[in-house]
Amino acid sequence: MSEVENKVVPVESEEKDYVEDGKNKLIVKCKFCGSKILDKKSAKYITLEKELPLMQQDNNRKEGEIQNESVNEFYHVENMYTFENIGFTHTVANCKYLSCADCDAGPVGYYDMETKHSYVAISRIVHA
Amino acid sequence: MAKTYDYLFKLLLIGDSGVGKTSILFRFSEDAFNISFISTIGIDFKIRTIDLDGKKVKLQIWDTAGQERFRTITTAYYRGSMGIMLVYDVTNEKSFENIKNWIRNIEENASADVEKMILGNKCDLEAKRQVSKERGEQLAVEYQIKFIETSAKDSLNVESAFYTLARDIKAKMEKKQEASNPAGARSGAHQIRANEQQRKPTSWLSRCSLL
Repeated sequence: MSEVENKVVPVESEEKDYVEDGKNKLIVKCKFCGSKILDKKSAKYITLEKELPLMQQDNNRKEGEIQNESVNEFYHVENMYTFENIGFTHTVANCKYLSCADCDAGPVGYYDMETKHSYVAISRIVHA
Repeated sequence: MAKTYDYLFKLLLIGDSGVGKTSILFRFSEDAFNISFISTIGIDFKIRTIDLDGKKVKLQIWDTAGQERFRTITTAYYRGSMGIMLVYDVTNEKSFENIKNWIRNIEENASADVEKMILGNKCDLEAKRQVSKERGEQLAVEYQIKFIETSAKDSLNVESAFYTLARDIKAKMEKKQEASNPAGARSGAHQIRANEQQRKPTSWLSRCSLL
């Protein structure tokens, strides 16, 4: 879970139309209910590789099994109070997962207990 | 980085086990997410941003579920908290009687000027009710604490309760600021108070009725 383990993937951030000056150009919202998660230009765009549990786990999966996927584009939030609306789960292996404060969909990202930084998975949110 | 908000309030949800504290924080809707990953881990706290009379207020709301079996909340939880929601279940007499014990626990552990509010939750379960609204109101008068009945299940009054608590904390802070700096604080503070009452709720408050 620590940052050291996260491999930095070299991607040219300038190519992304939702990134401006290295930050989120647009408002970040929940994919499902539209709840506002981040204000525009409040978080840094970064690429790193991270395994995150799927938002919708297969009901037929084996008991105790967690289905993950690799996510590699994030918004980096250094101060948790930068968030407009967000939920933090209880701690699992030195990390808290982030969830929508309104509909509880998630994980939409994670919070690193060591650095106290949060990471919002861009593939799990929408821009507005 | 520059601060992007005017106030930050730490709030706690306190009360007996099973009164619905977690439901107040964690929206148990019927949709599929609740059988998903997040619900199995549970929410520790939420950050909410609200607009209070033109000020951007961040609320950090903590659930104390799981702690309450010790009949007391540890001092660590209370540290820095500025507002406390005391929750009982209107269908559970014991949880109502225990509000007094929780208030004592707060007096012993929390900061003396912490704002409090009493919530009589599960008011949608009228047939099972054991505690009348009048008794809730009476208790509130006795302790001079605001009171409202809520239904986390129907999202009734939950958000407005948080607005009320936040507004009371803000008013208290402004009063303090004014007292310590009468000349400087005057310009903004009075203007704010003038339109406090008719302020229309936004976002997550829009789903429920006003106090």
